[in-house]
Amino acid sequence: MMEKKEIYVLSAKQISVQQPLCEDWMSQPIEYQQPFNRSIDPSFKDYISPIEARRMGKILKRAIATSKEALKASGLETVDAIITGTGYGCIENTEFFLDALSKDGEQMLSPTYFMQSTHNTISSIVAIQMKNHGYNVTYAHKGTSFDSALQDAMLQLRLGKISSALVGGHDEMTETFYNILKKGGMMGHDDEMCGEAAVSVVVGARNDDYLCKILDFKMLHKPTMERLKAMAAKFKADFILTGISGDHKSDEAYIAEAKELFGDAKLLKYKHLFGESFTSSGLGFYVAAQCLKAGKIPTHLFVNPKDITDKKPSMILIFNHSDGTNYSLTLMEA
Amino acid sequence: MTDRILITGAGVVSAIGCGMAQTLDALLNNRSGVGPLVYLKTEHKEFPVGEVKMSDEGMRKHLNINDKEITTRTALMGMIALDEALKDAKITPEMIPNIGFISGTTVGGMDMSEQYYLDYVNNENHKEYIAVHDCGSCSEMTANHFGKFAFITTLSTACSSAANAIILGANMLRCGEADIVVVGGSECITKFHLNGFNSLMILDTQWCRPFDATRAGLNLGEGAAYLVLETEESAKKRGVKAQAILSGYGNACDAFHQTASSPDGEGAYRAMKEALQLADIQPDKIDYINAHGTGTPNNDLSESQAMKRLFGDKVPPMSSTKQFTGHTTSASGSIEAVFCILALQNGFVPVNLNWSQPIEDGVVPVHQPHKKELKHILCNAFGFGGNDSSLLISKPEL
Repeated sequence: MMEKKEIYVLSAKQISVQQPLCEDWMSQPIEYQQPFNRSIDPSFKDYISPIEARRMGKILKRAIATSKEALKASGLETVDAIITGTGYGCIENTEFFLDALSKDGEQMLSPTYFMQSTHNTISSIVAIQMKNHGYNVTYAHKGTSFDSALQDAMLQLRLGKISSALVGGHDEMTETFYNILKKGGMMGHDDEMCGEAAVSVVVGARNDDYLCKILDFKMLHKPTMERLKAMAAKFKADFILTGISGDHKSDEAYIAEAKELFGDAKLLKYKHLFGESFTSSGLGFYVAAQCLKAGKIPTHLFVNPKDITDKKPSMILIFNHSDGTNYSLTLMEA
Repeated sequence: MTDRILITGAGVVSAIGCGMAQTLDALLNNRSGVGPLVYLKTEHKEFPVGEVKMSDEGMRKHLNINDKEITTRTALMGMIALDEALKDAKITPEMIPNIGFISGTTVGGMDMSEQYYLDYVNNENHKEYIAVHDCGSCSEMTANHFGKFAFITTLSTACSSAANAIILGANMLRCGEADIVVVGGSECITKFHLNGFNSLMILDTQWCRPFDATRAGLNLGEGAAYLVLETEESAKKRGVKAQAILSGYGNACDAFHQTASSPDGEGAYRAMKEALQLADIQPDKIDYINAHGTGTPNNDLSESQAMKRLFGDKVPPMSSTKQFTGHTTSASGSIEAVFCILALQNGFVPVNLNWSQPIEDGVVPVHQPHKKELKHILCNAFGFGGNDSSLLISKPEL
């Protein structure tokens, strides 16, 4: 086993259903009543020229804006790697192309939508914008897409192959696609709210103004309780950030499991503010990093009101899983 | 490089056959699998393709999967290749919970979504396929057929997906995150990307001609391949031998254009150079390059420039194998890595079929049967968006 290098989160930026590119959600969270909502977009003209922007889907514009903001806030000129997680990729363009294919047939299709329909369009457009020739990959693995991207960055930082990485988590949601997912039983349970995700974080060696440190990370597929317990023993923290989403049955099991694994650690949530998507765990990572930096956890993040404390958090464990299939544990320290 | 990454097993399915034996036979006998379209339901019968010579039903039968189980063509091909790879590496079911699975795909379950899209929107029919549209589901269906792997993830970098899955696997072994990982990719032809490539005007209506002056585009192919990567210590403990060594790998971004390669092949050049540096091998030690060589005017010229920049006027014997299989997109990185292992083990350079005229300012490929001992092979896979990767595969005993 190789020695673990210290890895820092230098910056973290988001565009979501909360106020974009800021931490207003900490003191003034926006509450939604309806299950389908799209993100609140900032003005993109500071990040992309109007001519370029016209051809781009929302997911790409948001990725460019969060990436540029994260890079600026990191204090770095450039990063050694651009690694993106996205569950569904550029689903709006995919939908347009599928729609045309299904309705108009195979003879008159324009390449525009296809060109920006693959999952790796996001990472590569960010690289083109930043003129970055470094390592560049994209993960598309359900609820652990962002987590997979983070893992890749951490492995390469530990191996010394890179000294910094821009890690992203991006998913967009159209109304048509939301309704399809709902039909497929994948979205819209009980009080669950869907939320588009655009998160960019820069990780690397320590700088003057870092947000927090990442102590450890582990991803598991369908682990036994025994294996989970062995892992939980190595990931101890006072606060556990869960991914409960408003899906009653699933949340119940999630909380019961978290209690069994982490005893009386205080459970936190974020999806009631940011919504559910394949890359919402990226927003969870952002939330944990910002709480550690701020030295406080907003009261509205506590699962159980009696846990509310103004104690400065020293460590937060992000305990992410989707339907008990893919788990990830990310241990962060102030 | 400090730790050797051993390749202790492999499995493959493509247009030239099911399994390593059929694949080797086709490569040695210059037997292409590219031909008229049979299985994909599309209006575009004018394009030759490299289809796996089995229907979905045929694959289900082959794998002993019942009609009710929800699956997709990409997952089915993945299972066929994974089955062979696991057996080849002598991996037993009880070992699987300690092994990672990393797969590459871009189309995921698009073969079903493109058939049923209007149903998804308008009615309740076929809604059971909605949950398997995404790429991750495809990897999980493939993996779950064999047991519960320790972790699963999916790379989606278009045509370099499988190569990047191999790179992640190697980095995980080097970090001590696992002793064994199974890595590769799978991709079926879909109407979605056949039409997408057609709209970009990069499909040839004739048999593709990589590195030929008259090349006019690519033929699509499909298939899957997986490699078993293992640490030296684990292989020793299990008493299994290395079939080849993954001695280097590189990934770089061309950062030039969404669907075109740069004229100077910057990304490709960097990826190959990095692979050599990681292995600490000089360019003159490379015995063969399995090029990405799609047969599009743009790729082959750009890749030629990259090879000339790295190797000067001494570009090693080089060929594309896309004329055998068609462009197997996300799976091409692992399928062609398997070809490289077979070339190492059997001492031959696969022929760049269907070639007659050199590209002006290009590299001349190996177009005649070429038997020779090979020690180090570079295997290139480049994707849309300039996601360029190169693998360096070496003989275990040098």
